[in-house]
Amino acid sequence: MNPIATVEPLVVRRRIAASAEAVFDAWLDPKALAVWMRPGAATRSTATVDARIGGRYEIVMHMPGGSVPHHGVYEAIERPRRLVFTWNSPHAGDHDSRVTVEFHSQAGATEVVITHEHLPDGDAVGKHRGGWTEVLARLDAFAGERIQAPSR
Amino acid sequence: MDEYKSRRLDATLGALSDPTRRAILARLARRDARVTDLAAAFPISLNSTSKHIRALERAGLVRRTVHGREHVLSLDAAPLAEASAWIERYRTFWDERLAALDTYVTSRAPRPNKRRAR
Repeated sequence: MNPIATVEPLVVRRRIAASAEAVFDAWLDPKALAVWMRPGAATRSTATVDARIGGRYEIVMHMPGGSVPHHGVYEAIERPRRLVFTWNSPHAGDHDSRVTVEFHSQAGATEVVITHEHLPDGDAVGKHRGGWTEVLARLDAFAGERIQAPSR
Repeated sequence: MDEYKSRRLDATLGALSDPTRRAILARLARRDARVTDLAAAFPISLNSTSKHIRALERAGLVRRTVHGREHVLSLDAAPLAEASAWIERYRTFWDERLAALDTYVTSRAPRPNKRRAR
């Protein structure tokens, strides 16, 4: 994979065999978040949620090496279709990024689409997404020759 | 991610947020150019072009080589790879969280005709 081509908002999706309401509610229920917002390495997660626009959430993932706090503010709460919140994590460089979650009802299931945008400069990146994607596409040929895949 | 890296990531993404700077990068992706070449290629002043170039240099996206009186600019795509690595780490994170969300929601409210999530 060409690393350059992926420098645009991240989109991840999954079809879940449950109603949009049930899936949506799991995002705003602190007890639910404590269960599924727990990466494999974490011993446990704790969550607090103030589920209103402008309200703050905090999810602390307790890792063997110490706790990793994540926090943000809800920007849109449209049950059961859409949820938007800022995301701040020490792993993401301690600056706000934005997560948009969309819930698309399908027969007996819900497709969940997460778009994670990195917004170090207000809305700049999001606003210029088209141009950004374009330049990155043009950088493709160049990158293939001159850079290596990122080391992890 | 350490603080140095995260500040560099900020600088990279901040530099990419401007359309003129993206156009400069696209131009440099084709071949190296002199400052004066770039100023001639864009409908902005030499002074303004220089400012954009300095921002790209600060972000580590552009390197400047001085040959006598000529300043030659070239693209350095390594910081873009770093930004890309950030995205890949989060892709894994969200993939795993969605799998856990799936398990959580479906185990609580099982459906008769449960279909497999992909």
